[in-house]
Parts: sequence; structure tokens; C-alpha cells
Amino acid sequence: MNTNLVDVRSVTKDFHNGKITVNALRGLDLAIHEGDFLAIVGPSGSGKTTLLNLIGALDVASSGDISIFGHDLMAMSRKERAELRLTSLGFVFQAYNLIPVLTALENVKFVLELQGVDGGRHERAMSTLEDLSLGELANRRPNEMSGGQQQRVAVARAIVSRPRLVLADEPTANLDSENSEALLVMMRELRDKHGMTFVFSTHDPLVMAHATRIVTLLDGRVVSDKIKNAGDAAGSAN
Amino acid sequence: MVSVSTFRIAWRNLGRNLKRTLLVAGAIAIGQFAFLGTSALMHGYGEQFFNSATGPMLGHAQVHAYDWRDDRSMDLTLDDIDALLADIRSDPNVTNASARIYAPVMAALTEDGFMGVVVGVDPVTESHKAGLLPVDGMGELLGEHRVMVGAGFAERHDLKPGMEIAVIGQDTDGSIASDLYIVQDVMWSAVEIIHGLGIVMSLDDAQELLMMPGRAHEIVIHTSDRELIDETVVRLSQLPSLADLEILSWDELAPFVVTMATMVDWFAYIVLIVVFIAAAASVANTMLMSTFERTHEFGMLLSLGCSPSRLSVMIAIEAAILGLLGVAIGTAAGVVFVAATSESGLNYAALGGSDEYEVAFQGMQFSLLIYPRIYAKDIVIAVSAILATSLMAVVWPIMRIVRLRPVEAMRS
Repeated sequence: MNTNLVDVRSVTKDFHNGKITVNALRGLDLAIHEGDFLAIVGPSGSGKTTLLNLIGALDVASSGDISIFGHDLMAMSRKERAELRLTSLGFVFQAYNLIPVLTALENVKFVLELQGVDGGRHERAMSTLEDLSLGELANRRPNEMSGGQQQRVAVARAIVSRPRLVLADEPTANLDSENSEALLVMMRELRDKHGMTFVFSTHDPLVMAHATRIVTLLDGRVVSDKIKNAGDAAGSAN
Repeated sequence: MVSVSTFRIAWRNLGRNLKRTLLVAGAIAIGQFAFLGTSALMHGYGEQFFNSATGPMLGHAQVHAYDWRDDRSMDLTLDDIDALLADIRSDPNVTNASARIYAPVMAALTEDGFMGVVVGVDPVTESHKAGLLPVDGMGELLGEHRVMVGAGFAERHDLKPGMEIAVIGQDTDGSIASDLYIVQDVMWSAVEIIHGLGIVMSLDDAQELLMMPGRAHEIVIHTSDRELIDETVVRLSQLPSLADLEILSWDELAPFVVTMATMVDWFAYIVLIVVFIAAAASVANTMLMSTFERTHEFGMLLSLGCSPSRLSVMIAIEAAILGLLGVAIGTAAGVVFVAATSESGLNYAALGGSDEYEVAFQGMQFSLLIYPRIYAKDIVIAVSAILATSLMAVVWPIMRIVRLRPVEAMRS
């Protein structure tokens, strides 16, 4: 499980606001391994979300190299990055970000449709929802569900196509501890069952408790990278 | 190819701000109704104008000897009129063909004479709604030296039914032609030459008076459909019997009517352009507001891997549905309006506080009752144009979406 899925080397990211330049990342190095259940932590402004956006091909680094699944992300066109997001990455956002006019089932099916999956979309989406105990909510729209339910639908949408890497930006920020715990247990099960890699940006101690590895950022640099021993993580089989 | 989900999202998005959607669709519907209503009234007016212009005097086409229209010389006649009429009537599009004679004359009751015009008509073929004898049975009043005189002519010269008038003119040889006739009746006509000067007699009596047996000055033709006039004129002009004669359609005979009809059409088009501008502004404004409001959502869709082109299609579908919704409501209202008024007509005069139903002008009789007419062509034009306008109106919002970067959009 030590294969590098993502390699981030000497990456910087600057944001310009008029004459002010904010250096969000300052020569950051990080390797993400297949099967990681990785929590990126750090104070606000430390660069967690920026790093996640760069790894997720949502944004482009100012300098440095990012390799994802062996592909040079910096050399990819906008279209290739969109293709990468579509086929190999799953996203879970803090604010759920479901399509409000679609039901839970339609939200999940939509990703399969974007991927051009022809047959069995309904069955796959429904099966994923049922795996996450959402079968009964399949025909509800987001505004008819609780925050925890919406976030589980967002996870279902992220994993329905079995992406190799799931990026979750503060996924528990809007959830109570009970829902957060349930969500994290569920994600751990998915990781164990399907061999997916999960990367979280978070402030939540609960996420850190479940993580198998914790990377701490400060001022756009990695200041600590701690891999827990097997069994240390909350909810582990041991 | 538009996917089901793309269409579904576009459709449901319209329901997210239902009031705004209905407001814009309503504005488009009102515009569409205004266009269809206006064009239906214009078509009704145009049709009536055409019927009035081509009615009793002009017809759909006329046959003359060359130069007769300019010279009005008595000897520029159509010969063997029965054979000519038979040839013309054999055309399947021709519903009526009627020969006429016109001759300036002096008329007298006693010693004093006055100017008049003998109009020789066929009592049978002119006795129809669009003929010179528009009242049933009127043709039976003519013949055997019985004539009718125009109401204005009669009033001016104190002519009354039963009086005997002397008519003196010049025949085709240049000799004096004269005879006595009984005024059988006084007739009202919108045709000035009849109303103010007309001594209307049977074609046989006129031929006898003017020494022009089997001859006439003009043949007036009516066809079964306005759209068939041109092809009929072309076909008739190829008849050997008409080879040396002038045959002209109504628009060549009265170009000012064409100008008026063109003006009517342009009025409808101007309304259409105003409707399109209003529709475009409404749709563009709505879609722009809608895309600004949903920037974050578009960022999310882009982050999922949704392509900008798919988002653009989604926006275009929303706009198209919005336009079609409005145009469907407006078309339905327009069709209902026309259906409700096309038979009974709309009385312009009553709207203006008058109880008149008809006016006569320049030899033409106009009804003040307008019967609105709607044509499939108008609906197709309006639907296509509003659809195109709606799609053009989303070019700006689409350009904005295409330039969106997922992460920046997500931050908004």
C-alpha cells in the first residue's frame, strides 16, 4: 500500500488580489499513497483547501510539480483535467453541493451519465445509495433531506464510479458528531472494501481520529506527517 | 445529443424561481399575442383591402386592347368577345369573366344635356357580390333599353325611375350614336364612374348603341384564389386568342394597392421586431441572473467533470423552454382571439364611437368590420424567431460559463 498515488513536489500557489499577493502554498512536498485515509489539518489559511484543489485538478499551481496516477497534472489541458476529475476522482464538499433540482438517485446517476456509462446506471446508483443506507431517500430532493443525509448522498455520488481517489473538503463541518461518526465509519468501510484512497482537509478531531495518516500544514508547508500504527485509528477492525 | 439529465435539470431549474419564470414567459406570451393579434387584424384588413380594391371595378385581372387604358379610344376594342370569354372561362382557375364597354356620352332629359358615361355590362356575369351589379336580381333590370343610373348622377340631374333619357355619343366609326332609354332604377355604387356618371346598360344595348357588335373594351377576370392570380395571368397570356391583347393582373393595374398591402405587411413585421427585442431582453436578463445566481453550482458541476459545453447546452435548453413556454401561451391566446372574432368581425367604427359600417373612397368600398385572419406561416415565423431570439439571448451567459474556472466558481 505504499505506491505513490499522488506526488506533490515543491508546489507553490499564489493568489493575487490587486497589489496584494497571498502565498497560499510555499514549496510544499507531499506523497499520497494508495489506500491512505489521510487527514490534512492545520489552522485556517494554512493551505489545506488550496492543496486539495490542486490535487483535485480544480486549480493550477503557480510552480512545482504534481503527479497524479503517474500523469503530470501541470502539463494537462483544461479538458484533460476535467476528464481526470470525471473518471478518476471523487469529491465531497463541505456544503454537500448536490444538484438541488435532482433527487438523491438522480444526483448519483448524473455522474455515471457524465462518464458515459450506458447500461445499469439506475442499478449502480441505487446499489450505492443502499450501501450507504439511503435507499429509502432515493427519490427525495436535497431540500427534503437532513444535512447528514445530504452529505451521505454526496459521498454516494463521489464513490459511485469507484474513483481511485476521493477528496473531501471539511466533509463533517456541517454535521453533528453522530452524523460525522457515521459518515467516517462508512468511508472507512468503502476504503477497506474497494481499496479507495481518501484525503480530507479538516479541523475536526473526529476525522483525525479516524485517519490513518495525518499531515499538518502551517503557512503553506508540511510541518508534520504522522502515520498511525495499524489499529490506532478509531473504528479500525482492531 | 442532449442527455435526459441535462434536459431534466434545465426543465426543473425553471421551477426554482417560478415567479420569475412565469413573469418572463408571460411577457413573451403577451408579445406573441400582440404579434399574432396585430398580424391577424392586418391580414384581415389586407384581405378586405384587396377584396375592396379588386372588387367590382378592378377584378383580379383585366384584358384590353393595347393602348386602350391610356387612350380610352372607342375603336380600341376586343373583337369576337364571345370566343375570348369562352377561352378565358375554360381556365380552371377562372371563376368569372365579364366583358364591359365604356363610352363618354351626353345625356338629356329635356333640352339641357349633361355629361355621362355609358357602362355596358353583362347582366348575368356582373350580378355577383364582387361585380358591378352586386344586388341579387339587379341584372334583370337591364336590357331592352332599360338602364340604371348612379345615385350621385341621378341626384345631380334629378333623374328618377321611369324617366326617359336621350343618350348621344360617338360610335367606333366616329359617327353619332344616339338612342332613348328608360331609367329603370337608381343604383348606389362605390365605383365613382358609376355613382357619379354612370348610365349602366346591358352589354347588348351598349353594343347596339355604339355600333360594336361582338366587341367590348375590357374583360374583367376573377379567379378562385388570390394566390392563383399570377399563374392564371401567365397561362391566359399564352392563349393564341389573347396573343395581341394586353392582360394585366390587379397589382399591375393598381400599383398603389400593392404599396398599401406592403405597408400593412411591414407594420406587422415592425410589431414582430419589437416583440423579439422584448423577448430577447427578457430571456437574456433572466438567464444572466440565473447564471450569476448559480455560479457556485456551475463550479460544482465543473468540478464533477461536467464539460462547459454540457453546461452551455443546459442553459440553452432552459432559454428555449422559457421562450417556447411563452410563445405557446401567446399563440394559444392569439388563436382563441382570432377564433372568437374571425366570424363576427371587429367593428373599428364602433370602437371609435361611430355606427357606420362601410366607407367608400377612390371608387372602392371599405367595410369597417375587420375579420381577423391567422395563418400557419405567422405562427411558424413567430415561434422560430422567438426560439432563435431566446437562444441568441443566452450567448452572453454561455460565454460567461465557458470561461468559468471550477475553483473560482465554487468560491463565489
